[in-house]
Amino acid sequence: MKKLPGTFLTIGLFLFCVLILMLSVRGIAGNPDSYNLNTNFWKEDGPFELSPERGRFALVYSLIEDNSFYFSHDIARFAMPDLGYKNGHFVSLFAPGVSFLVIPGYIIGRFFEAGQVGAFAVIALFALFNAFLIRKIAIALGINPYAASLGALVFLFATPAFAYGVSLYQHHISTFLILVSIYMLLSFRSVWSSAVIWFLFAMSIPIDYPNLFLMLPIAIAAFLKNFSVEEIAHRIRFKIKFAGFLAILAVVFPLLFFMWFNASSYGNPFQFSGTVQGVRGLDESGNPIAPKSSGKPKNAIAFFQTRNLLNGFYIHFVSSDRSILWFTPVIFISIVGIYLFYKNKSGAILSLLLGVVGMNVLLYSMWGDPWGGYAFGSRYLIPSYAILSIFIAFALSSFRKNIFFAGLFFVLFSYSVCINTLGAITSSSNPPKTEVLALEAQSGKEEKYTYQRNYDRLLANQSKSFFFQAFAKNYVSAMQYFALLSWLIIMMGFSFVLILFLQKERNKVNGD
Amino acid sequence: MEIEIKKSLSELLKKIRDNYFVVIIVFLLTAISAFSFLIFYENGLGLAYNDARSHLDIGRRVVEGLKPGLAQLGSVWLPLPHLLMVPTIWNDFMWHSGLAGALQSMISFVATGFIIIYFLKQLGVGWFGRIIGVLIFVLNLNILYLQSTAMTELLLIALMMAGAYELLIWFKNDKILNLIKAAFWVMLSTLVRYDGWFLFAFSVAIITIQIFRKKGYKATEGTVIFFATLAGFGIVLWFLWNQLIFKDALYFMFGPYAAATQQKQLAEAGVLATKGNLLFSIKVYIYALSYNSNTFLLFLGFVGAIALWLDKNIRMSIKIATSALFAPVIFNILALYLGHSVLFIQGLSGNTWFNARYGIMMLPSFAIFIGYLVQRADKLRGLLIGLMIFVLFFSFANLDAVTIDDARVGSSQKNVTEVSGWLADNTKGKPGFVLISVASHDAIIFSSGLPMSRFIHEGTGAYWESATSYPDRWARWIVLRTNDLNDQVFKAIRNTPGFKNYNLVGKYPFADIYEIKKEFIPLLNTEASLGKQR
Repeated sequence: MKKLPGTFLTIGLFLFCVLILMLSVRGIAGNPDSYNLNTNFWKEDGPFELSPERGRFALVYSLIEDNSFYFSHDIARFAMPDLGYKNGHFVSLFAPGVSFLVIPGYIIGRFFEAGQVGAFAVIALFALFNAFLIRKIAIALGINPYAASLGALVFLFATPAFAYGVSLYQHHISTFLILVSIYMLLSFRSVWSSAVIWFLFAMSIPIDYPNLFLMLPIAIAAFLKNFSVEEIAHRIRFKIKFAGFLAILAVVFPLLFFMWFNASSYGNPFQFSGTVQGVRGLDESGNPIAPKSSGKPKNAIAFFQTRNLLNGFYIHFVSSDRSILWFTPVIFISIVGIYLFYKNKSGAILSLLLGVVGMNVLLYSMWGDPWGGYAFGSRYLIPSYAILSIFIAFALSSFRKNIFFAGLFFVLFSYSVCINTLGAITSSSNPPKTEVLALEAQSGKEEKYTYQRNYDRLLANQSKSFFFQAFAKNYVSAMQYFALLSWLIIMMGFSFVLILFLQKERNKVNGD
Repeated sequence: MEIEIKKSLSELLKKIRDNYFVVIIVFLLTAISAFSFLIFYENGLGLAYNDARSHLDIGRRVVEGLKPGLAQLGSVWLPLPHLLMVPTIWNDFMWHSGLAGALQSMISFVATGFIIIYFLKQLGVGWFGRIIGVLIFVLNLNILYLQSTAMTELLLIALMMAGAYELLIWFKNDKILNLIKAAFWVMLSTLVRYDGWFLFAFSVAIITIQIFRKKGYKATEGTVIFFATLAGFGIVLWFLWNQLIFKDALYFMFGPYAAATQQKQLAEAGVLATKGNLLFSIKVYIYALSYNSNTFLLFLGFVGAIALWLDKNIRMSIKIATSALFAPVIFNILALYLGHSVLFIQGLSGNTWFNARYGIMMLPSFAIFIGYLVQRADKLRGLLIGLMIFVLFFSFANLDAVTIDDARVGSSQKNVTEVSGWLADNTKGKPGFVLISVASHDAIIFSSGLPMSRFIHEGTGAYWESATSYPDRWARWIVLRTNDLNDQVFKAIRNTPGFKNYNLVGKYPFADIYEIKKEFIPLLNTEASLGKQR
């Protein structure tokens, strides 16, 4: 077999990922007005099935169509139940960053009579960037490029990152900022690179507030780079790079943007959206019905309780309705990679990577809603899936000649791809197991809470993929569409596994 | 910019650390202990546990009351915590502030901190790991709270850890003096709580294994008998005590106030779900561990324990010795499974807490395993510490302490305060005794602020016999739960003619208060005319 040029490989992988994402991104053709947005066609049965998507798109629509930070009555209704009310105006309860970033996609999509698809496509683009950043970081760490490519595929298509790469959530943007910062930290040493890291750190907060904690290990690592200690003869020398401290000033610009948005929306540059009064409903006149207030100020720290950790760990790792075990068991291969990395590589890099994973897991295990509301898989752990994919790549790189390991990986990879493709092209609207009983009482029928719910949608020929709804449904069923996508991804994965395996043999033949 | 310091300065710092380490640690731990006590004293939570008030009352009854004396130590609860209160509890402030009981908890807190450091030193862990270990123990809100109370957990923890520590040294150097010391500490722990009895059995088991491995049967027989005689002395004394005072060596196990009686009632009510269910017992205790010690630290402790067992540089004898650190978890799960213990976790066992504090017993063990892990995983030290700080930040910021919830829920404090408040307001300055059952209402006695000698209860001998036969001759007030046969006062006087001579003057959810009718006051005995009744 001839050696594949690296550039050709990279382009091929890129095009493949673009193709799959294009075939999977959710949406409906058309530019709905504010009235039509409130129909089931666009909401429950359409791409805006859940309030996180609606809330963020509501701000996009208001900014572009209404030229306002405030929601009209129709848009307020569309954004319910995640709707705020401040100074006589309906406002967003979400951090604004995602909405601002997808505006270009919305405008371009609107031009092609698919504004919503354009907005969602921006998130898919970030998902694509993340896959390639994973690959780049892995290669920078000395991992075999084919294994690195496999790691990228695992993240993009074998984890819930797939389902959230084709809809309008914050996770891929947050992950992007984390991965870029890590890459900058590993690859560059200048003050400018530090400034970029601090800029991204501050930028991450208007994307999603908990990013402050997720990126904290990176910020600490960037800060500590300004110090060094060395022993010389009978002295200990401490070096401090003051120029590095100046780089911290780069946080100013994102924070100014954030304060500007808060001032424009809430009248107070220091008011966080989570502390704005929520709206329980709208009366017939479109006036807000405020929720019952306890009279106490909201405390952001109180959302994270250490007593929730045990339940959080259970939900994220073991539970049938969200866990890694059920939705993306291939991620457990990263444990092998972490162990090998510990034995062979730098402790500082390992600490950095695992620090982000640790913060992510701990934060969202302390969170009062580890399920992520109605969701597909454990969406809060998407940044962790990205980093753990690097360790999977490391394990694959180390054990590429071990057929049992390769076999195990392939089985887990195939299963994970099938599950997550199922989620990506159907729906993310799976209830937590704890709400199923109440749901059954309402609906009068059995309600499923695992990916079986998605499978049932498939059997009912339901898919929210834009491409399926616009074109493919005239030729294939949703089940066939799912089978085709899964098969393509699995075959691509198999190809890389095979290349990895054969690569070693080829070297033996050549006497290397 | 560059700053240089001479290596001799760092050497000097190391010298200070090595020479003044004991002073520094004692100072720091004592300061933390005292500060914590003050906080919980000020906000009143130091006396939130009903059990804490009962412990203090028992200690007080030994020195003050209608029939003071060692017999007031009673049965069921083991005697050492109450004996240790005796030197100070005669003072009203020491009694009512809870300090007479908290003092031993505070001293135990400092002692346990030391033991953790020295235990880790014996495992070859450097200074950094030892400091982390003691910080894990110290920076725990549940420990800081319990050490400020007259509860028995800290005393038990200190004694069990001391026993485990001496055992470890004995396993290392095989010197008889360490075995004697271990026996001494284990013996003391058997006089605090029944967990100590399990530690006794567990210690005998691991000593048997160790000696048999090294020296064969004959040496095993001798060593085990030697250790068991010393360490089991407290247990023998307790059986003897029950035989002498209550005429039944097993009174503490099967008597009317025994835990078994309480458990039987709970089982009949269908709320003892852990009995006979091993998986549920494990689940409940894991929740208790998690809520007390923090799930993340529980996880790290578990990883540290595995790392220790897999460490080829640590001899098998050391590994066997460290298994004593698991005695609390084995005991508690067994006790739940056999129905000898009850533990309610909100959400698992209904909507209440009861004895959730039992999960704190493993914290020192986790501290040791985590200290070891930090030492061993040197590449990830910064990561482990950073994540622990992250979690502890939220723990303190949210004041997450399950032991405080346990105290607040279990105390039904408001109801106790209503009754005790009435007594305080209406009996001061008026002669006469209060007839009350300490088995049911010890917390009321404590909270009333009245001297113990105002109360006629089960432990007052002839006063009790007289008052329950002729209440209208002895008791100006009666506190009881009407129609509750578990209340010994109600059970005793409900059919007496004298009970008809009382008016119900206070009806509260926790208990009712009866006062003798005015015309019968002149007939009352208001002096301790029956003496101390030796």
